[in-house]
Amino acid sequence: MLFFRSEERVAEWCQENRTPQRPLVSLSQLWKLAVAWYSNRLSADAKRPSPAEMREIFTGIGLTGPFWDPESRG
Amino acid sequence: MSNKHDAQDFDIQVKLAIYRHFAATGVRPGLAETAASLGAAHAEIQDAFRRLFQKRVLVLEEDGESIRMAPPFSGIPTQHRVRAKGISYYANCAWDALGIPAALHEPAKIESRCEQSREPLEIAVSLDGPAPVACVIHFAVPAARWWEDIVYT
Repeated sequence: MLFFRSEERVAEWCQENRTPQRPLVSLSQLWKLAVAWYSNRLSADAKRPSPAEMREIFTGIGLTGPFWDPESRG
Repeated sequence: MSNKHDAQDFDIQVKLAIYRHFAATGVRPGLAETAASLGAAHAEIQDAFRRLFQKRVLVLEEDGESIRMAPPFSGIPTQHRVRAKGISYYANCAWDALGIPAALHEPAKIESRCEQSREPLEIAVSLDGPAPVACVIHFAVPAARWWEDIVYT
């Protein structure tokens, strides 16, 4: 997961690296993911979200579709 | 280790020792430091590292004992530097760069770059989140395949 200044820079990078351009995430969406994944990481009961929890987190911030499905076979 | 339950409890203690070391210093602990902090044998810690790797809690280097990742922390320098509470950390990716202040519950400054233009990119993060900055984040790998090559992801 990499930072880019703009969608145009992403398109250039994908073309140069022969990588498909994927959905983009905003900084505010990424913060919500960071909090959901890591806010209790330093505690004894920390655990990674289950696939169902991941789906719920992604959907809650507008990231939907097979790309964001942790069990997608697509 | 006498049984599975004891091993799970021990692994939690090892995981906490690793994370607390990263949080306090910004760098990865070695087997010897972790063993000393828990009063455990080197071999016990090595076994715990391997179990935590199998559980996807840690990513180890090819030597099987050096910590490459304890997400959001990186065990090696990367392009994503995070400064918080006077300590310099490295993150594994853009997500983890925000994950460090989220995990520490501390304000931070992220120093990264635009991957295409290599232009420096600084993000100030308060307890409420990042200040607005002109940037987007590209996820190159679908969620179902993140752990096929987590270092690339």
